[in-house]
Amino acid sequence: MTSSTADTTTMTGQGLEDEQRRPTRTPEFERRLAKRYRAERNFKRMGQGAIVFSIAVLVFLLGNMLINGIGGFQRAELAVPIDFAESGLIGDEVSLTAPSSATVLEIQGLPEIVDRYAERALGEAGAAQLSRDAWRDVVAALAEDPLLINGQRTFYLAASSDLAAGLAGEGSPQMQALADQLESQGLLASNWDLGFLSRSDATSPQQVGIWGALKGSLLTMAITLALAFPVGVLSALYLEEYAPKNRWTDLIEVSINNLAAVPSIIFGLLGLAVFLSVFPNYRSAPLIGGLTLALMTMPVIVISGRNAIKAVPPSIRDGALAVGASPIQVVFHHVLPLALPGILTGTIIGMARALGETAPLLMIGMRAFIATPPDSFTSPATVLPVQIFLWSDEIDRGFVERTSAAIIVLLLFLLVMNGLAIYLRNKFEKTW
Amino acid sequence: MTLIHEKIERDKNAKMIARDVTVYYGAKKAIDDVSIDISPDYVTAFIGPSGCGKSTFLRCFNRMNDTIPAAKVTGTIELEGEDIHGNAMDVVQLRARVGMVFQKPNPFPKSIYENIAYGPKIHGLGEKKADLDVIVERSLTRAGLWEEVKDRLDDSGTALSGGQQQRLCIARAIAVDPEVILMDEPASALDPIATAKIEELIDDLSGRYAIVIVTHSMQQAARVSQRTAFFHLGKMVEYGPTSDIFTNPIEERTKDYITGRYG
Repeated sequence: MTSSTADTTTMTGQGLEDEQRRPTRTPEFERRLAKRYRAERNFKRMGQGAIVFSIAVLVFLLGNMLINGIGGFQRAELAVPIDFAESGLIGDEVSLTAPSSATVLEIQGLPEIVDRYAERALGEAGAAQLSRDAWRDVVAALAEDPLLINGQRTFYLAASSDLAAGLAGEGSPQMQALADQLESQGLLASNWDLGFLSRSDATSPQQVGIWGALKGSLLTMAITLALAFPVGVLSALYLEEYAPKNRWTDLIEVSINNLAAVPSIIFGLLGLAVFLSVFPNYRSAPLIGGLTLALMTMPVIVISGRNAIKAVPPSIRDGALAVGASPIQVVFHHVLPLALPGILTGTIIGMARALGETAPLLMIGMRAFIATPPDSFTSPATVLPVQIFLWSDEIDRGFVERTSAAIIVLLLFLLVMNGLAIYLRNKFEKTW
Repeated sequence: MTLIHEKIERDKNAKMIARDVTVYYGAKKAIDDVSIDISPDYVTAFIGPSGCGKSTFLRCFNRMNDTIPAAKVTGTIELEGEDIHGNAMDVVQLRARVGMVFQKPNPFPKSIYENIAYGPKIHGLGEKKADLDVIVERSLTRAGLWEEVKDRLDDSGTALSGGQQQRLCIARAIAVDPEVILMDEPASALDPIATAKIEELIDDLSGRYAIVIVTHSMQQAARVSQRTAFFHLGKMVEYGPTSDIFTNPIEERTKDYITGRYG
C-alpha cells in the first residue's frame, strides 16, 4: 500500500515534465515518423512504376504482334468464276467426299480447268499469278458441297506471294501495277483467311495454315499430360506422405529440384538418345515429343505437388486418422482434394512451359516440313513453337505476317490454358 | 512413483488399462512409467503444467503417436483386455473404438453432413443414405448441435463458429460409436460460453463413453471430472478422486500446482 501511494505522488508531481520527456512525443520522433512514411510512399511508387513498366512492355509486345498478325489472318485472293457444268468434270457424292477426291479430280484435269477459267476472268498475266495449289481449295469446296459439280460458283483463290506483295505495296513495280489493276477491277482483294486455321504447312505463305501444328501440339500435350501428371502426382504423394525422411529422400529431392532447372535442350538430347533409339521409326512423332516434354514437365509437377500437399494442415490429417481412416483414405479423401488446386496450377504452368518449348523438339527431329495434319500419335508432326521457328526462317516476305499470326494462336492457346488453371483453382479451392 | 489415493480401487469396469507406459521422443523421455485405468463410470482428467507430457500420454490411447516418427512407446495399454499394440488389434479399428477430439477444432472442409457421415461411411456402418441420415441426426443431437444446424447440413463445417466447430468434431467422434473419447484440451481455443457448452456436453456424454480429458484449466478439471491425474515432468505424480486432489492433495508438487504456485 505504502509504495503505491508514493508512486502516485511522484507521478502527479512530475507529470508535466514526464510528458515532455516521453520519447514518442519529441520532435526527433516526429521527424523519424515522417521519414518512415516517406519511405513507405517511395516504396509504393517504385512498385507502381514496376507494374506500369511491365504492363507497358506487355502492351507493346501484344500490340506489335496484333498489328503484324492481323495481316497474317488475311490473304490476297483472286476472284475466279468456275462453271462446273460446262467444264466436263464428273463426280458424285461418294467420289467427291472420299479422301482420294483430290487425286481423282487432278487426273480429270482440274488444275488446268482452274487455270483456263482464271485466264478467262483475269487475263494471262493475272492467271499466271494464281497460286499453284489454288485448285485444292476447289477440291475442298466440292467435298463440302458435291452438288456444286452441276453448277457454278465464283471462287476466291489465293494469289501468288509476288502478287500479294504487290497488293501490299511492296515487291516489283510490275506486280504493284498488276495488283492495282486487278484490285480496281474488283478481282483482287485482301480477304479474311479462315483457312489459315484449318490448313497445314505449305511452301507458299499464301497456302499455309496453322492447324497441322496446332493438332501436333495438342497430341504432344496429351502424351505429356498423360505421362507427367500421374507420375508427378504419385511421386509427390509418395515423397510427402510415405517416404521416410533420410539421406536417400534428401538426395531424391535435390535431384528433382535440379532436374527442374536443367536446360530444356538437354532433355532433347536425352529424348534423342533414349526414346529414338527405342522407337527409331517414330522420329518427329508426337509420341516421342510428348515423352521428352513429359520428362521436362514432371519435376515441375512434383515440386508444386509437394508444396501443395505440404500446405494441407496436419490437423485435417489428424482428424481423419482419429475417426479411423487408413493412411490411404487420409490421402485420397482429404489430402489430395485439398492439394488439388495447387497441383493443377503447377501442372498447367508446367504444361504451358512445355507447350512453348522448341529446343528439345528440334533435337528429336520435329522440325520437318509436314504438310498434312498428324492423324495419330505416331505420325510425323510439328508443333506450334517449332512451326513459328520454321516460318520465321523463311525468306518469302509473306511469312512474316503468317509468323505473327501463328504467335497469336500460340499465345491464345497459352491464355486458354492459364485461364483454365485459374478456373480449376477457384473451383476446387476450399478454406479451412 | 505415482501416489495413488486409497479410495481408488482396481476398477472392474475399466475399459482401458495402461501399465508402465513410457514414451520416448528420440532420446528424451516424454512419459515415464505411467499406469492408469480408464472407465466409462467417470470422466478422467489429466492436469499439469505445459510440457508435462499429458497430451503425449493421451495420444498413446489411440496410437496417434504412431504418426510421429521419433516417438517410441513401451509398456502395455489394453482395450477390453486386448493389447492395442498387439497383432490382434488393427490401428484403424482401434481409432474407430477410441475417438479423439483435438485442441483446435479441425472439421473437414466439407459439409456438416459429410463431416459426421465420413467416419460411419469408411467403416461401412451406414450402407444406405437413410441409415447415415439417422446416424448424423443422432450424433449431432448428442453433441447438442442438431437444433442449430439441422437446416443447413449442406453448409461447410468450417463456416461454423469455433464452439460449434468443436461440438461438430465431438459429434464426428461419436458418430462411429466409440467406447472411449479422448479430448485434448477441447475448450482451450473457445470463449467462456462455448466452453460451458462443451463442459455440459462432456457431462451428458459421460456414462455412455469413457471420457479422458486433458486440460490446463484446473477449474475445468474440477467441474467435469471425477478422477484427476496430475502430471509433472513426464511423471504421473498423483492420481485420485477429483475432489480429493483439489481439496486435499498429498504430494507437495500437486499442492503447489493446485494453489497456483507454478504452472
